[in-house]
Amino acid sequence: MTTDVAATNAVPLPREEQASVAVTRVKRNRRRIRWGANIVAIVFAIVWIFPVYWMLNTAFKPRDEVMSATPRFWPGHIDVGNFVSALAQPAFLQDLRNSLLCVFGTLIIAILLGMFASAALTRFRYRGRKVILVVILAVQMLPSTALLIPQFLVFNRIGLTGTYIGLILAYVASVLPFSIWVMRGFFLAIPVELEEAAAIDGAGPWRILFSVLFPLVTPGIIASSIFAFIAAWNDYLTAYVFMSDSSMYTLPLWLQSFTTPNGGTDYGAQMAASVVFSLPVVVFFLIIQRNLVSGMSAGAVKG
Amino acid sequence: MRKSRILAIGAVGIAAAIALTACSSGGSGSGGSGKGSGSGPALATDGKGKTLTVWSMNGDLPDNVLTAVNDEFTKQTGAQVKVQTQQWDGIVTKVTTALSSNSVPDLIDVGNTQITGYAATGGLLDITSVKSELAQGQTWLGGLVDPATVDGKLYGVPVLAGARTVIYNKKVWAAAGVTTEPTTYAELTADLDKIKAQHASDPNFASFYLPGQYWYDGLQWVWDAGGKIVSGKEGAWKGELSSSESLQGLNDFKAFQNAYSTKASQTLNTDKPDQDQLMADGKTAAIQGNGWETGVILGDNKKLTDADLGTFAFPGKSGSTQPVDLGGSDWAIPAKSKNQGLALTWAKIAASPDIQKLVAAAGIIPISTEAVDAASSSLTPLQTGSFTAAKNSTATPSAVNWATVESDKTMETLFSSIASGSKSVEDAASAADSAIESTLNK
Amino acid sequence: MTSPTAAKAAGKSASRRPGHVPAILLTPAGLVIVALTLVPIGYLFFASFTDYDKRTLFTGAYDFVGLQQYADVLSSADFWLSLARTVLFTAAMVGGSVIVGMGVSQLLLRLSTVVKYLVTIVLIVAWAMPNVATSKVWVWLFQPGYGVIPWLITKLHVFGDVTQTDFTNNFWGALVIIWMLVVWQAVPFIALTLYAAQTQIDQSMIEAARIDGASEWRVYVNITLPFLRPTLGLMTILSIIWDFNVINQIILVAGVQVLKPIATLGVWSYLTAFQSSDVGTGAAIAVVTMILLLGITAVYIRNLLRSGEDF
Repeated sequence: MTTDVAATNAVPLPREEQASVAVTRVKRNRRRIRWGANIVAIVFAIVWIFPVYWMLNTAFKPRDEVMSATPRFWPGHIDVGNFVSALAQPAFLQDLRNSLLCVFGTLIIAILLGMFASAALTRFRYRGRKVILVVILAVQMLPSTALLIPQFLVFNRIGLTGTYIGLILAYVASVLPFSIWVMRGFFLAIPVELEEAAAIDGAGPWRILFSVLFPLVTPGIIASSIFAFIAAWNDYLTAYVFMSDSSMYTLPLWLQSFTTPNGGTDYGAQMAASVVFSLPVVVFFLIIQRNLVSGMSAGAVKG
Repeated sequence: MRKSRILAIGAVGIAAAIALTACSSGGSGSGGSGKGSGSGPALATDGKGKTLTVWSMNGDLPDNVLTAVNDEFTKQTGAQVKVQTQQWDGIVTKVTTALSSNSVPDLIDVGNTQITGYAATGGLLDITSVKSELAQGQTWLGGLVDPATVDGKLYGVPVLAGARTVIYNKKVWAAAGVTTEPTTYAELTADLDKIKAQHASDPNFASFYLPGQYWYDGLQWVWDAGGKIVSGKEGAWKGELSSSESLQGLNDFKAFQNAYSTKASQTLNTDKPDQDQLMADGKTAAIQGNGWETGVILGDNKKLTDADLGTFAFPGKSGSTQPVDLGGSDWAIPAKSKNQGLALTWAKIAASPDIQKLVAAAGIIPISTEAVDAASSSLTPLQTGSFTAAKNSTATPSAVNWATVESDKTMETLFSSIASGSKSVEDAASAADSAIESTLNK
Repeated sequence: MTSPTAAKAAGKSASRRPGHVPAILLTPAGLVIVALTLVPIGYLFFASFTDYDKRTLFTGAYDFVGLQQYADVLSSADFWLSLARTVLFTAAMVGGSVIVGMGVSQLLLRLSTVVKYLVTIVLIVAWAMPNVATSKVWVWLFQPGYGVIPWLITKLHVFGDVTQTDFTNNFWGALVIIWMLVVWQAVPFIALTLYAAQTQIDQSMIEAARIDGASEWRVYVNITLPFLRPTLGLMTILSIIWDFNVINQIILVAGVQVLKPIATLGVWSYLTAFQSSDVGTGAAIAVVTMILLLGITAVYIRNLLRSGEDF
C-alpha cells in the first residue's frame, strides 16, 4: 500500500522513497526468514512427534523386532500381534467400561455443578462472593498429594474407596474448581443487555439462566469438559490407591499390567495399549482444536 | 494405646474394626468379638451363592494349580472363586490400602518377606487355632512359616517356595570347552574364565550375568561367608552388614560381579533389561534365577530347547552350596474379610498334599518337607538346581518393618553401589546398616 | 484481560436483587467442595499430628504425637534437599516450557500454511497424549539394551557406548528424562496460547517498526513482549503450579533406585504415606508443601486483583 502511494505521487519524497526500499527489503528478508522458519519448524515437528511415532512403530512390530538391540525405524512388516495380545485380555473391555463410567460420571456432575456455581458467581452480586472466588482459586491450586492422602483416609472410613462413586467424587473434587473458573470467563463475556431484554420480556431469573445464559456458555462447557475429561481419563494415582478390586480398575492401571513374570515389561503390547489408550483423547483434541485454544485462553487466561 | 473419640462415635464399620483390634491385641480367645464364645476362626464349608476373591501374585502359582484348587473348593463349598493376579511392582501400597478398605479380598498371596509387617499391625486374621487342621500332617518349611508367625501366633498358610539356582546355556559353555557342571567355587570361576576369554571381543557379553541391584543373589555371598543382615530382636535390631564376615562376603560378591558380568549391569536389576531375555538372546552364558525362569527363557527364544539349558546350585567358597534366600509366599486372610471361614477352606485345599504334587510337577518347590522329598525322585534336569539349592536356605529378617526396608530399596542401593564402586564396600555397608537400623527400630 | 463488556455485565447485574437464586445455584458445588476437599484437608492436618500408620489403617488405633512429625520433617536434611530439588526442578521445567513455548509461538507466525498446520497438529498430539501413556513411552525410549535414544546417542560417538546404561535409574538421567517429558507436554499449551495472543497484536505497528529499520529482535522485545506480558505471566504462574505438582511422571519414569533421591515434595509425601505406610509423616510433609504452594497462589491471586480483574 505504501508502495502504491509512493508510485502515484508525482514528486516522490525522499522519506517515502526510503520507505519503499525498506518495504522491499523487509519483504525479501521475510521470505528468507520464512524459508528458514519452515525448516526449523519441520525439524521441531519431527523431534516433537518422535516419541509418538516410536510408540506406533513399536506397537506394530513383532516381538523379535521390538526386542532388538539395533532399533528398526520402520516395522519389517506391519504386525498387529501386540494389539491382539493387549486387547484380547479380558481386562481391556472391562477396564474401558470402568474408565468410561468414571469419566462420564465426573463430566456430568462437574459440569452441571460448575455451570450453576459459575452463573451464581458471575451474574449476581452479593456479599461474600469474592471470598468464595478466592477459596475456589486456592482449592484449585492445592497439591494433588495433599488431597489424595486425606481423601483416601476419609473415603475409606465411610466406605467409598473401592467404589465407582467414590472415584467419581474424588475426580469431581479435583476438577470442579477449575471448571467453575473456566466457565466463569464465558459467563462474564455475555453482555448484560441480553439478560435485561429477557427481563423486560417478563422472564424470571431461572428462565433467563436456562434459556439465555446456559445456551450461550456452550463453548465454556466444552472447554471445561475437555479439562474434566483429561483429568479423569488420565488419573493413575487416585485409582491406584482407591481401587483394590482389579475388576474395577480403569485403563491407566491396565497400562501398568504388561509385565513379564520376572518383573520386566512386554513393551510391544504395552505400546499397543498406549496407542489404544491415547487414541480417543488425541482424536478428541484434533476435532475440537479450534475450541481448545480459544477455550483454554478464554477460560484460563481470563482467570 | 489411646483410641480416639472420633473413632468411637464413628460408623458401625469402625466399631467392628475396633472390636477386631481388641480381639487381636487381647490375645486369641479373650477378645469376645461378635462371633461367639471367643474361639478362633473356623473353616466354613457352606458357600452357596458366595464368591471368594483371591489375590494371586504374578508368577507365583501357575494357572493349572489355581484351577485345581478352585474346582475342588467349589465342589466342597458351592462357592465361586474370583482369582485376581497382582503385579509385584508397588504391591506393598496395594496390599496396605486393600487391607484397610472395606472392599478387601478374602485371601492374599503375600511374599514371605512382607507378611510380618501386615501381621504385626493387625491387618491379618490370626489362624493359630486351626493350624494343625490346615497343615494336614505336613511339616511346613521354616522359611515360609517363621515370617508368618508373630508373637507365637500364625497369620499365614504357605503358598510355595522358591530358591535361586544357576541357569546356564549348555551350548555356550560347551563351546568354551566346559562340559561338566562345576561343584566348587574354584571350578566355577575357572569355567567362567574360559567362557569370558572366548568372548573377550564382545564387551556386552556376560559370562555370568549378575546385575548389581540383585540383592537376593548378593546376599548369598554374605551368608556363605558367615555374615548376616541384622541381629537382635524387635525394637533392638542391629545391622550386621559391617561385620568382618559380611564385609568378606560383600567383597567376594564385588569381585565376582565385576569379573563376570557386564559393566552396564553394575547398576541394573534383573528386570530392565529382563535377564531372561538376555539369556534367551545369548548375551550371557549363565544367570542366577528362580527355577521357573527356564520356562520364560525357552518362551523368549523358541530356538532353544530343554536340552540347551542346565541348572545347578551355586557352589559357595565355603565348600557347600551358597545359602539361598528361601523366597516364597503365604496365603493370608485379611482381618476385614467377610468370608474368612471359606478362605480358610480354600487355603487348606491349596496346602493339601495332592495340590502340592501339582506344584512340584510345575518345577516349583512345594511347601512342606514331605512334599519336597516326594518330589525329589521325579525331578527333571531343569528342576534339580533349585531343589538342591533350597536344601541350604535362609531368609531375610522377620522384622515388622522389613517390608519398608524392601520398598525403600536399601538393599538394591547397597549392592549396586558396591558393584559399581560408587562407594567403598565399608561405606556402603555402614550406610545400609544405619538405614536398616533406623527403619527396623522405628 | 477483562473485556469492558464483561466488567459492565458484572457491574450492572449488581443492581438486580439476587434473592435466593445464587444461593441455590451455589449450594451443590459448595457442598461438594466442602465435603470432598475442605473436610479432607482438615483431616490431613489432624492426621499430621498423629502417628497414623499401617496399624491405624487396619485397626483404627493411633496416638497423638503433637508437633513431633513436623519437628522431624523440618529438621531432616532430606526435607531441605527435597525442597531445594522441588524448587530447582520446577524452575527448570517452567523455564524450559515457557522459553520453548515462546520460541514455537514466534515460529508459528512465520510459517507457510502447510507447515503451520503440521506443527499445530504435532503440538496438539503431544498435548493430548495422556501422561500415563507418555511415561511408559519414555521408559521404553530409554530402555537399556533395547531403547532407541541410548542407541542414537551411542551413534553420535560422543559419549561412548551408552546402550546398556539405565538412564532412568541414574540421578541426573532420571531428572533430565522427566524434565524432557514434562516440557514436551507443556510446550503445546503455552505455544498455542501465546500464538493466539500474538495474532491479536496490531500488525501495522510491527510493520511500521520494521519499515523504520527495527530488527526482528527489537520488534519482539519492544512490541510483542510487552503485549504478551499478561498472558506470559499467567502461563508462568500456571506452569509453576502445575509443575510443582508433577507426580505421575516422576513415579512412573524414575527407576526404583533414584525415586527417593529425586523425589520432589509431592512425590516424597506420597511415598511416605502410601509406600512406607507412614501416613502421619506423609501428612505432615503434605501440609508443609501445601502451605508453600498456597504462598505462590497468594501471589497469583494478588496479581489478579491488582490487574484489575473484577472479582
